[in-house]
Amino acid sequence: MLKVADLTKKFGNLIAVNCASFEVNRGEIIGLIGPNGAGKTTLFNAISGLYKPEGGTITFKGMNITGWLPHKICKLGMSRTFQVTRAFTHMTVEDTVRVGAYNRYNEKNVQEKVDQVVKICDLTDIRKRVCSDLGLASLRKVELARALATEPEMLLLDEAGAGLNATELETFMNLIKKLNQENKITFCVVEHVMQMVMGLCQQIVVLDSGEIIASGTPNQISTNARVIEAYLGKRAVHVRD
Amino acid sequence: MNFKKYFNQQNTFILIGLVIALVIPQAFKSSQYVMLLITTVLLYAILASAWNIIGGMAGQLDLAAAAYLGLGAFTTGTLLIQWNITPWVGMFLGGLIAMGLAILIGFPLFGFKVKELWYAISSSALVVVLQSLFMMWNEVGGPTEKYLPSGSSPWYSLRFNTYVPYYYIMVTILVVVILINRWIRYSKLGYSLLALGEDEDAVEVLGVNSQLSKLKALAIYAFICGVVGGLYACIYGYVHPAFFDTSMSMEITILGIVGGMGFIYGPAMAAIVMVSFREFLRASLGSQLAGLYLAVYAIILIVVALFQPRGIAPLFERGLKKIQTYFAELKRGHKADA
Repeated sequence: MLKVADLTKKFGNLIAVNCASFEVNRGEIIGLIGPNGAGKTTLFNAISGLYKPEGGTITFKGMNITGWLPHKICKLGMSRTFQVTRAFTHMTVEDTVRVGAYNRYNEKNVQEKVDQVVKICDLTDIRKRVCSDLGLASLRKVELARALATEPEMLLLDEAGAGLNATELETFMNLIKKLNQENKITFCVVEHVMQMVMGLCQQIVVLDSGEIIASGTPNQISTNARVIEAYLGKRAVHVRD
Repeated sequence: MNFKKYFNQQNTFILIGLVIALVIPQAFKSSQYVMLLITTVLLYAILASAWNIIGGMAGQLDLAAAAYLGLGAFTTGTLLIQWNITPWVGMFLGGLIAMGLAILIGFPLFGFKVKELWYAISSSALVVVLQSLFMMWNEVGGPTEKYLPSGSSPWYSLRFNTYVPYYYIMVTILVVVILINRWIRYSKLGYSLLALGEDEDAVEVLGVNSQLSKLKALAIYAFICGVVGGLYACIYGYVHPAFFDTSMSMEITILGIVGGMGFIYGPAMAAIVMVSFREFLRASLGSQLAGLYLAVYAIILIVVALFQPRGIAPLFERGLKKIQTYFAELKRGHKADA
């Protein structure tokens, strides 16, 4: 469904992403992990059209979307959330979801879609509240809801589990699993919370200093020496061995 | 016919507003000065409401209202002076020309995501550039005023001996502009603009074409300013490059911010309160302290920024809600007694 090939993104002399290549199959939940500054969010920004890459190609649903504007990529069926929640602070939850729902619906039937998404994401009780009054867990759900309202075939979640407590995380993970199984949405998840990565993802791609250093199933990744080295340093690998 | 259903609170307020609008000229028609003053207040209310579309909803700090107003004034004035074309046509064409220029300038600005301070500077520069251009363009502008002919029919040339007709035209335009604001606010464009005003990247990944949405808002705003500019020329009876006035643009932006960015009635309310107050200060203290109103504006802006950062409209909305609750409780009490 998504194919990233030799993607490179530079900021001046800094190479944030260096020839990254990976694939996401339809219906999969794939995890993108790596230490801070590995280039995960930059990669997300390039895939979603917020950054123009210097090299490589991004193919989505068989179309080369490299350099496309974000709204066009969304129209094709891909949306995303952000690492630091970027809520529309002065808008209500319902109106925030409506902005996304207009991607595929017109004035006549947009309300129906809003009601549906609000219900799926369990936002009914807070639908009339202004986003600036909400806590982090609710904001994460609102971000997911507005992206979901665009009717994506693929969703990129950027650290959606960060800052959530165990119960909130469990609820959030169940929601993603439900959306994946029932709505057939493909997910690509950038995450630091290992509970979420291990509990959700069928495949994991590991990024370090802008380069992909490993990819495989959660079990393969958890025992990969290069991954342990990237996260904990060389001594940790020696200790393990 | 069931008339009762039409008498909800909103319609009652509209009715009261219309009655006041009709009574005003009857009360003040003997004083042309007061009528001019009220017409000026309405002019600012229209411009501030138009600014609300690009500034209040889309969050673009636009300072070019006077540029579009001036273009409308010169288009209307020139068509009437040189070809005796009625200002009714001139105003519309002036609006279209202002809209065309706005699109021409907005396209690269929004394409390159120029915003906040940089957008404010760019839009403000447009006023200065147009003023210089029209100052040098002797056929249309030039350093001296170009007077509009009165013609045989006042309704053809829009040149009246009294300000009362202008007042009615201004009231009509204000109502239309507020309705446009209301229509946009609750449409796809309105929701997109409000969200764009908060976070452009976050909106774009939801399928919103930010450049196109902002261009639409800018075009509507410029068109309204251009139309009003035509009327402005007719009221004053001449055109002059001084119409491209940066301080006027600044004042409209201040009214939009103080009124409440994105609120439908806020900017118009702010214009009615603040411009009336400004004119009062000018009339009573103008000879001693000519620039006092600017100091008062600055103080009001600081007070609003400190205590009511979203403008006076939310304050008004809260007051209205309290009144609604009071009447609802009163109604319930009556029912219980019965």
